[in-house]
Amino acid sequence: MRMATRRRPRFEGIEYEPKSVKEMLTDMKDTSELVIDLAYAAIIFDSVEMAEEVEALEERLDKLLYHIRLNAMLAARTVKDAEQLAGILQVANAAENISNAAGDLVKILDTDIRHRPFLPFLLADADEKTRLVTVASESSLAGKNLESLNVEQDSGMRIIAVKRRGRWFYDPQDDFVLASGDILVAIGVEDGYQYLKDCAEGKKKWGEP
Amino acid sequence: MMTEQKDKSSVDLFEHILEMKDTSELMVNLAYSSLLYHNKEIAHEVLVLEEAMDELHKRVKREALKNAACGQGSIDRAMVLLQIADSTEAIADGAVEIADVVLRDIEPHPVLHLSMMESDTMMATAIVSNNSPFAGKTIGELKVASETGMWILAIKRGGRWTYGPDEFATINAGDLLLVKGPSDAIEPFKCFISGNEEAEES
Repeated sequence: MRMATRRRPRFEGIEYEPKSVKEMLTDMKDTSELVIDLAYAAIIFDSVEMAEEVEALEERLDKLLYHIRLNAMLAARTVKDAEQLAGILQVANAAENISNAAGDLVKILDTDIRHRPFLPFLLADADEKTRLVTVASESSLAGKNLESLNVEQDSGMRIIAVKRRGRWFYDPQDDFVLASGDILVAIGVEDGYQYLKDCAEGKKKWGEP
Repeated sequence: MMTEQKDKSSVDLFEHILEMKDTSELMVNLAYSSLLYHNKEIAHEVLVLEEAMDELHKRVKREALKNAACGQGSIDRAMVLLQIADSTEAIADGAVEIADVVLRDIEPHPVLHLSMMESDTMMATAIVSNNSPFAGKTIGELKVASETGMWILAIKRGGRWTYGPDEFATINAGDLLLVKGPSDAIEPFKCFISGNEEAEES
């Protein structure tokens, strides 16, 4: 046990807490998807800050996996339990492996930028494109929260991060209120991007075609 | 530096890496869908795609090394390209690990299904009705993603699945669609493709 603690010092001080495995697994699934999006955004926009967020999420998934393991061990009483719980552990492990892959992806930023000028070009043709959108003061998006805007449903664009006055907000939730000057990192198809961009620039009103 | 982007071998290489990226993401989506529905058919497709990924990975490695050896681009450039390819492959492996749970002959723990249900992004299936505005149109024409917020992962027609359809794929009446998107967008989407316009407004 001491060996394990020494090798992975970040687990120091983590104690067993009775959290629901269901909640933790949902969290792991959502985070494993977000972390891939963020990792590509980090290498497209050459953002060390986004890369750091990827690493932070990677660490969080590590901790969640650890808690799920503890819970699973406590829950097994029969062979059938153990078999079923092994499935849960495998899914949690897979989500963690996916986040590790995202963590490896952002290590590309350690390579001198002169050796990777082609990255934005290479990734520009992906099925889903990662774009930046700036909210203008006359935009109908400013002052509204993400829940009322329903951005993903109405444009197909997922907003994975927002930069405001030099500070990043990752994975903004429903109650996040957009403000003029915000820079949004949005992922989705081309026409969804055009619509979001037109609305952000104030050329179109959100909700109107 | 800009001219290297134009030459043929780089274009092929970039295309293959991009295909690896898109395939790995489709695999993750399908893997989580298979978990949600405990659907072995979808889980199996993840394994099929994994074979395609392995093949692509081999080609990418070969092309990247060949380019570097021929003096087209530096070693560092090749390292960066290989790193992306390796990461997409690792993401795909994660998807296979998930699909593997579904393919086992063990009744899944109910928590697996429930945890997928609670997710921010949901998967759903919906059948295209005869009077659906979708019937007979292509995904590109319909602008499905930007108009509905839903991403079509797969189409089942006549008992056969087509995975990761592109913008030229046509949607027919009777098709079963496997879609992914925000939880709130699912009900309106279902009403919309069933041709029930009134419900769509609500």
